[in-house]
Amino acid sequence: MRNPFRLAILFLSLISLAGCGKGEPVVKIGFVAPLTGDQAAHGTDMLRGAQLAIEQARQAGEILPGYKVELSELDDSRSPAQAVAAAKRLAADADVLAVVGHLNSSCTKPASAIYYEARLLHLCPVSSNPEISRQGFDTFYRICPTDDLQGPAGARFAFQKLGAKKIFVLDDMTTYGRGLANEFLAAAKGLGVEILGHEGITQGEKDFTPVLTKIKGLNPDLIYFAGMFPEAALLLKQKQNLGLQGKFLGGDGLFEPALIELATPEASEGMYLTTLGGDIRNLPTAQQFVREFETRYGKLGAYSWYAYEATRIALEAVRRAGRKDRAAVLAAMKGMGSYSGILGVHAFDSKGDTSLRTIGVYTIQQGKFQFVEATEG
Amino acid sequence: MILLQQILNGLTIGAVYALIALGYTMVYGILQMINFAHGEVFMIGAYVGMTVLLMAGPGSGGVLWLTAAMAAAAVACCLLGLMMERVAYRPLRAAPKLSVLITAIGLSFFLQNAVMLGYGAQDRYVPETLSVRHWGGAGGAVVTPMQGVIFAVSFLLMLGLQGMVYGTKLGRSMRAVAQDPLAARLMGIPVDRVIATTFAIGSALAGVGGVLFGVHYSTINFHDGYLTGLKAFTAAVLGGIGNLPGAMLGGLLLGLMEGLGAGYVSAQWKNVVAFAVLILVLLFRPHGLLGERLAERA
Repeated sequence: MRNPFRLAILFLSLISLAGCGKGEPVVKIGFVAPLTGDQAAHGTDMLRGAQLAIEQARQAGEILPGYKVELSELDDSRSPAQAVAAAKRLAADADVLAVVGHLNSSCTKPASAIYYEARLLHLCPVSSNPEISRQGFDTFYRICPTDDLQGPAGARFAFQKLGAKKIFVLDDMTTYGRGLANEFLAAAKGLGVEILGHEGITQGEKDFTPVLTKIKGLNPDLIYFAGMFPEAALLLKQKQNLGLQGKFLGGDGLFEPALIELATPEASEGMYLTTLGGDIRNLPTAQQFVREFETRYGKLGAYSWYAYEATRIALEAVRRAGRKDRAAVLAAMKGMGSYSGILGVHAFDSKGDTSLRTIGVYTIQQGKFQFVEATEG
Repeated sequence: MILLQQILNGLTIGAVYALIALGYTMVYGILQMINFAHGEVFMIGAYVGMTVLLMAGPGSGGVLWLTAAMAAAAVACCLLGLMMERVAYRPLRAAPKLSVLITAIGLSFFLQNAVMLGYGAQDRYVPETLSVRHWGGAGGAVVTPMQGVIFAVSFLLMLGLQGMVYGTKLGRSMRAVAQDPLAARLMGIPVDRVIATTFAIGSALAGVGGVLFGVHYSTINFHDGYLTGLKAFTAAVLGGIGNLPGAMLGGLLLGLMEGLGAGYVSAQWKNVVAFAVLILVLLFRPHGLLGERLAERA
């Protein structure tokens, strides 16, 4: 064997032989969320929800006869560029039949185009920007209410329940944050609230005292922040340090226990946030999920149930398709009509959005999230 | 009152920029190289400080623990600076400047990812150490005790450094090496040891700056060194790179401009203000505010 070329051929064939002997054939559900980076706490919650759904399905029996179901999890660290790279990897993997993913709207939006081109069923658990479903992709399904419901619900709560007449709006200049802030602004203006200003802050920044000092001078009744929990934690802490009065209301990106740890319970006391859906602990259909999740992982993370629900719907579409074929899975999803899950009955409209329209409101009391109310948007 | 508050905020972050800028400027003054891993030294200082404060337990701490955290960060970053110089830069002393620059960027990535693997990628909470929330000052502006600590510590360190560079034998050696390394070596100055000491001192200052930053802003992340490091570098250029009082002035001015820009123009333009300053200084006053035109070396 002097010829290195022949040696290489032999080596390659050995590798491919090893590949052939590797157990039963698989089908995969793709999963993408930020598993590293400052928003990893959200992504980890989602991953646990998806894992629980997959394991329950395995225990219950075969989804697709002759195939083992696996979760193929990738990390986008909330970067749109990495989200697109992950989406391309999933699109290129023939074993992947459906994708559950992305946390941030700025990641979900470009990735959804790649799933559409690959004819890959895409279930979006929590990205709530309404523009995503307006792109006209028939591969896209979303199981959470959108920000054109969440923004107005927040504005109504601020005006009617908290009595806020003068509001300052901040956002994090992302697809999600800017979109939600604009929905909130439009609704608040319609209610007759005086908007003292609207400013953007940069994700990953640490010092927000200049803009908070400006807000202090305007003395608003309420500060609305459309963004994610790491920046919200800093805003709350610096607001407290500056002695800035006024209530604080945010969106669902703040629904994460890490917020209270990073901001301290003291600085986050009495803040409010809106969430995509009502109180999970009061939903009869979700009780089994809550129990199983808590016995397995301890703490119930805020986005876990959306990822759980999305993964279950993906598995149901694969089961109904009955064969390992992306087009058949898509057709099965279209034919499903409605799906009765732990969050309620989802009837998907022509854009792929769910019929669930409940927006919840939570507050933080003594270092814990407390449910306040739920409204139908 | 709002203006006074904005000025106080700006000077606080400016003092931290100044501490980091000193490290950039000292190394540049001696080696004519920009140590782009310096921001990471600052970030590692913040993590060392957090580790010490976590040992104090939640809710406790106080001035003693804060001092311990700063001392530990100074020592750890001092060692890190020595190691960086020995492992990454000294072997390249004779290499083209571009090689050194690229090594510095590589080292910066290495340190960031090492911290990410060690401490995790999520934001970490830095425990509070001082119990008083804030003092109401003149005209409604408020100062937190931590802001007071930042001002006091950074000015003392800057004064100390100035005294050392202009009043001790070591300082004289550093200035000699900065003027002409070859002549300094001929005069019997241990050039390599002086360079290593420069790295050690600059890194220790950045480490203390990291602790102050971490405690003041209460959360830290492994990529915090990147942006803050770039801004401190801007501050060093603004003041005149290679010039110690220039770095201090540049840091304070940059913090002030950033704060006033974000407060009175728009918050989303905050970083634009900082880096527009860098571009304008490079265009119209490349030697900075206090920098002097040095004779080109033969």
